[in-house]
Amino acid sequence: MLGKLMKYEWRGLRFPLLIMLGILGIATLLTCILIFTINPKYDSVASGLSVLSLILSIMLYYFGIIGCSVGTMLIIAIRFYKTTYTDQGYLTHTLPVETKTLLAAKTITSVLCYLLMLMGIAATLLIIIGAIYTHICNLSAYEGVYLDQQIGELFAELSDGFREEYGISFGAFVTFYTVFMIVACISAIMTVLGCVSLGQLYTKHRIIGAIIAYFAVISVQQFISYLAMLPTYSRMIRAEAMAETIPMFEIISPTMIISLLWAVAVSVVMHIINLHMMTKRLNLE
Amino acid sequence: MNEQYTTAAPLLQINDLCKRYPNMGNYMSVFHMNLTIPRGRIIGLLGPNGCGKTTLIKMINGLLAPTSGAVYINGMFPGAESKRVISYLPERTYLENGMKVRQMIDYFADFYADFSKEKAYSMLESLGISPEARLKTLSKGTKEKVQLILVMSREAELYILDEPIAGVDPAARDYILRTIITNYNPNSTIILSTHLISDIENVLDDVIFMKNGSLMLYTSVDAIRSQQNKSVDAYFREVYAC
Repeated sequence: MLGKLMKYEWRGLRFPLLIMLGILGIATLLTCILIFTINPKYDSVASGLSVLSLILSIMLYYFGIIGCSVGTMLIIAIRFYKTTYTDQGYLTHTLPVETKTLLAAKTITSVLCYLLMLMGIAATLLIIIGAIYTHICNLSAYEGVYLDQQIGELFAELSDGFREEYGISFGAFVTFYTVFMIVACISAIMTVLGCVSLGQLYTKHRIIGAIIAYFAVISVQQFISYLAMLPTYSRMIRAEAMAETIPMFEIISPTMIISLLWAVAVSVVMHIINLHMMTKRLNLE
Repeated sequence: MNEQYTTAAPLLQINDLCKRYPNMGNYMSVFHMNLTIPRGRIIGLLGPNGCGKTTLIKMINGLLAPTSGAVYINGMFPGAESKRVISYLPERTYLENGMKVRQMIDYFADFYADFSKEKAYSMLESLGISPEARLKTLSKGTKEKVQLILVMSREAELYILDEPIAGVDPAARDYILRTIITNYNPNSTIILSTHLISDIENVLDDVIFMKNGSLMLYTSVDAIRSQQNKSVDAYFREVYAC
């Protein structure tokens, strides 16, 4: 049944997600066009226009990724709300499946959709870096430096210097960061779904209730994030005072581990809230 | 009562069921209700607005948790297993607007093992509804017909129909009532909640009258006619006269 539920969840989410990815693609394309209008050669007449293009391209891309990321989150929240707590909930909750299976299908599909959007953002980021690099390459070629040389230098630096600088191999860092991002993504989705459920505690104005719950949870999360940063700050201050050279990963790892554990804890709590609201406190209008 | 299926168990049993809404000034929507529903009956669930009919139906379907008491369907608490044997038509339109009628049929066939696609397509044809029509393009009445077709295309043991004829025209009402009778299986029971008593009383075996969240009367239609010398509609008007 989980597979069938996920199939219909995906069908409900795929079209709006595709629109969001399309918007992201258009924003990336426009950003690339703006990047290519920047004059790589420094000249007083063109520099004003180049700076304007640079600012515009950064803003366009920034708002593009923020908009698409928030938009995807909203699509997921609206779908969850509509199919779980409005009229469509009458169909959802009378399907011959356990509530935990229902919730698992919704959560897994939502997380996969959001990961897809994040992968889309990562891909567009690579395209933008590529566009900038190609443009710099033209400038570098003018000055006698070639792209292949630059890329070669970059990889040499990553493989040799990374461990020395950060205290961890580049591969291990990427693996750790990927796991961290996936857990953070799950936690973000679970928070949104959990807050939609918490909003149902209100008899009226359930959407406003969900928004209030979301901002309350996010405020607590911000506070915890601040606390999680304290070990890193104290380590940095101590290292500076004692004129020590400590690898970067050693400094930031306590913060990342606390954040990771916090994200796991939030996911578990939100899952329990969702289950409770969908079983004991379900009250469709 | 265990959660295993037992054929000896009544189809539906309600024991001392209460539902209180703390957010609405502790309003008791259903108050100490006891009821046993056997197989093979068509039962009208009748009562004025706000008497607790929909709350009771929601609790039977597991859409609302009781404050106290219990509901058993085939001896099971409401859950995934009980939902396999109940075919429920709510008073709301629960269809996903973006889907086509054909996709909704596939959806029901995917989840309900007792769903008959042939029966659904045949009923759609009778009512002149295209399976390729997108639900958002259909009128409210047509959506309600589609919903009823989906519900009645199942071979369920218990059909719970909440206001099935309220939103449709009189011609469609006749068709719907004919559909209900045609699809009636002697081993299954149909509970019909409606205000349009005169339209349905000819198909009913029994009636349940509810008042202020409590069971007021549970008797057969024949008993009302023979003892009161009145139709169910006339008796209802007398009992609930304002």
